[in-house]
Amino acid sequence: MSKGANYIEGYKPRRMSVATALKKYWQLYLLLLLPVVYFIIFRYKPMEYIIVAFKDYKLNMDLWDMPWATTKKEVDIFKWFVKAFSDKNFHTALKNTITLNLLDLIIGFPAPIIFALVLNELTAKRYKKVVQTIAYMPHFLSWVIIYSIALQLLAPTSGLINIVLNNMGIESIDFLGKADNWVWTYIMFGVWQNFGWGSIVYLAAIAGINPELYEAASVDGAGRFKKMWHITLPGIKSTIVVLLIMALGGILGGNFDRNFAMQNKLVLEKAEVISTFVYKRGIKSLQFSLTTAVGLFQSVVGVVFLLSANFLSRKLGERGLW
Amino acid sequence: MKKVLAMILVLCLVLSLCACGSSDKTEEPATDNKTTTEPAKKEEAPKPAVESGVGTTLAQAEDEEKVEVIENKDEINILTNGALVDGKFPETVTIKVECYDRDGQTPANDNMYTDYIKKQALERYNIAVEYVPVPRWTEVDQINNLLAAQEAPDICYTYDYATIQAYSDMDGVVDLSEYLTEDYKGLFANLWNWLGSAGLLSHRDPDTGAIYAIEGKRAEYYRTATFIRQDWLDTLGLAKPTTVEEFENCLIAFRDNAETLLGADASKMVPFSMATDAGWRASTLIESFMDPDITDKELYINGFDERHYTQNGTKDAVKVLNKWYNEGLIWKDFALYADGDATEGDMQKAGYVGAMICNYDIPFRDGENSINYQLTQLVGPDAKFVAVDTFKDKNGGYSKYAYTTTGSDRKIFMPKTNQNVLASFLFLNMITDPEIINYLQLGEEGITFTKNADGSVNIIAADEEHVANTINSQYNIDYTMTCNGLHLLDEESTIKSKALSYANVDTNDVAEAMRVAGNDAKFAAQVNVGVIEAESGLGNTLSELRNAGYCKSITAPEADFDTVWNDCMNQYLTAGGQAIMDERAAAWQKVMGDATMY
Repeated sequence: MSKGANYIEGYKPRRMSVATALKKYWQLYLLLLLPVVYFIIFRYKPMEYIIVAFKDYKLNMDLWDMPWATTKKEVDIFKWFVKAFSDKNFHTALKNTITLNLLDLIIGFPAPIIFALVLNELTAKRYKKVVQTIAYMPHFLSWVIIYSIALQLLAPTSGLINIVLNNMGIESIDFLGKADNWVWTYIMFGVWQNFGWGSIVYLAAIAGINPELYEAASVDGAGRFKKMWHITLPGIKSTIVVLLIMALGGILGGNFDRNFAMQNKLVLEKAEVISTFVYKRGIKSLQFSLTTAVGLFQSVVGVVFLLSANFLSRKLGERGLW
Repeated sequence: MKKVLAMILVLCLVLSLCACGSSDKTEEPATDNKTTTEPAKKEEAPKPAVESGVGTTLAQAEDEEKVEVIENKDEINILTNGALVDGKFPETVTIKVECYDRDGQTPANDNMYTDYIKKQALERYNIAVEYVPVPRWTEVDQINNLLAAQEAPDICYTYDYATIQAYSDMDGVVDLSEYLTEDYKGLFANLWNWLGSAGLLSHRDPDTGAIYAIEGKRAEYYRTATFIRQDWLDTLGLAKPTTVEEFENCLIAFRDNAETLLGADASKMVPFSMATDAGWRASTLIESFMDPDITDKELYINGFDERHYTQNGTKDAVKVLNKWYNEGLIWKDFALYADGDATEGDMQKAGYVGAMICNYDIPFRDGENSINYQLTQLVGPDAKFVAVDTFKDKNGGYSKYAYTTTGSDRKIFMPKTNQNVLASFLFLNMITDPEIINYLQLGEEGITFTKNADGSVNIIAADEEHVANTINSQYNIDYTMTCNGLHLLDEESTIKSKALSYANVDTNDVAEAMRVAGNDAKFAAQVNVGVIEAESGLGNTLSELRNAGYCKSITAPEADFDTVWNDCMNQYLTAGGQAIMDERAAAWQKVMGDATMY
């Protein structure tokens, strides 16, 4: 254990028995009880179903009675993993998940930071609030609605933008029907939906920076950009790192509704991601074992990414998540 | 402090795990498991009876002898081992039955007609019926969820047999063969007389004798037709097209005369409309490119996909669509909309669409909300879609596939959670009673239908005062699960009534659409050469790939057509399409030898 901030030299914490601790802090434990129960019931108990990935799923059987996965009558508990990894569609889904999430990270991650910095520099209070509210709004729209908006704006014949382009004598651009264009449409709508909401955390972090620092910098003759660069950004660096680690943990995850609502038949080769693949194979085609295996793989990779990002950030002198 | 916390967390975890473990154990000996495994054992005994009864070929229901109902109550008592006393269950038995929910004017599971069915079942057999509504367009997903949660209705139906096969592979479906024996024929006389062995035994596994589903029956065979706007043809002085070239010329004329036809809305012109289920929405065109003399063997081996994706000739048909698409004759944006999106329907009703291929009755469905009625309201009294025969096959006929009476309708199955298979069968037998079907299809005289002098009936929409009488789906087919299509007590009046059964549209147009849809109609042989294991669970995956393949090929640039088609086809084949075709070919060889016709 590293030395914590409130570590006092020579102080030895007295060992407290469970009973005394419970007695002393029972209110705190009572408060803790509800979230603990919640996690156990809704997060840990369902985890027993992970075992389906190693079994042949049977509809009429209890989870524990289902037979282990077999190929040609021999037990082969990794059958579904092998099957998933030899499936071309899974490869596409895996590749797309990583590509889309990485692009999201590269383009989508800095957007709220920049927005927060810009907002912070605004002096007109009322104007700032109006801008903030408008920027938060897309966050509350569901992806189904956003795709409808995208269709209204971008469809080749009836989309507003293409109609404007046509009137200027430019051919329609197929923003949604061509796989490469679709990727950018997808990313941009993602940024548009999220940058306002994402900036809240950074604004809060900026508010916590000591104003004296700015005053001192002004005295030293620092301009706006110098202050931004040397005070604001370092001030929110730890927040940025924490959010980055969490984003890296989700590199194989992803938002099901966003992909599902935005994809169409023409762009599946770039749009099919693991979550939609799991939905189509698992729920729609009943291959529960196969898709549980895929889901388990996804989670394990997610945890590995999270831990290594955390490890790296601590190596680089940042606090990390824990 | 931290350690204590951790300890507590760990304790909680351990405790919860113990709790789960023990609760699982207490569940085990409960009746649930026992009753679900028991029927499986019983089934083994009567197997030989079924096997000796019918061979692998399908017998025609029509040719079979009429089965007489067992009248003697004591005989029934003995047959059912005392389960039925005086022809009824001594204590009320509750069964749950699936019904499609199409967002109709009345709730699908609670309306005048379900009340009628419930009353009948209670009176006849002391069976209490509960309907479980399942959304029509996501039915398979919903049933999957219900089955996985062990909460599926006792009687379920779906159109896709591969789905049921996937369930039975997971031990989720009751083997029905126990009740489909000679002994029980008299008890289920309605089923045998209407469905016959073609419907009841067609899914019998040649090896094990197990039957996991029975087939409903279509009372009519019309499937799809090509439609074109009569008023546009008239305005432009064009005749009804009779060949694919003439049809194309019509589309070109629509495109080039958008200003004349649509005025200010000219930019909204769609000469030919399309949807993501492109194989269906181009069916008559595709079928005209297939060999009209195709053998049953070829049709079967390539026939897992009912949209003909892998049949010979389909590629050429799609090439035509691709050309039309690139010439601006097909709705440019069709592939961007999700399945079941209302945008296309709205365009058809608003009068922007010139031609389409679809179910033979799409323009007439839904009374006041039908496409043809809406056209008269929004465009003008002459505006309407009429059916045309325009895609000639290589022999000069207009061959197109029609529904076979059995094999194309819903498949009815019972999940293993079903506690009373006998009651479920009695219910199915009851719902197949011609009198009940007759009532459910027509409703009450004067409110939902009127009788003509010649015995035919006019279906009318219930007025506002009688909204409760509104028929839930066309002819209430969601309740008459063994019968799809108009089937009245009297054969002759059924035929006369069919065209009259669409409210608010010109019956002559309906009759013409039926004539066109039935002209040169072909019927696919219903082949059963055993279970094709490769098909299990792939129905949905492959139809996704097929739809994507059709859409991408149609919308590809003309120069890339071959590459795109081949890429998509490859993906379809490697995802399981090829394995199915190989296994089908082998199974055919095994059962049929060198014969090419079934």
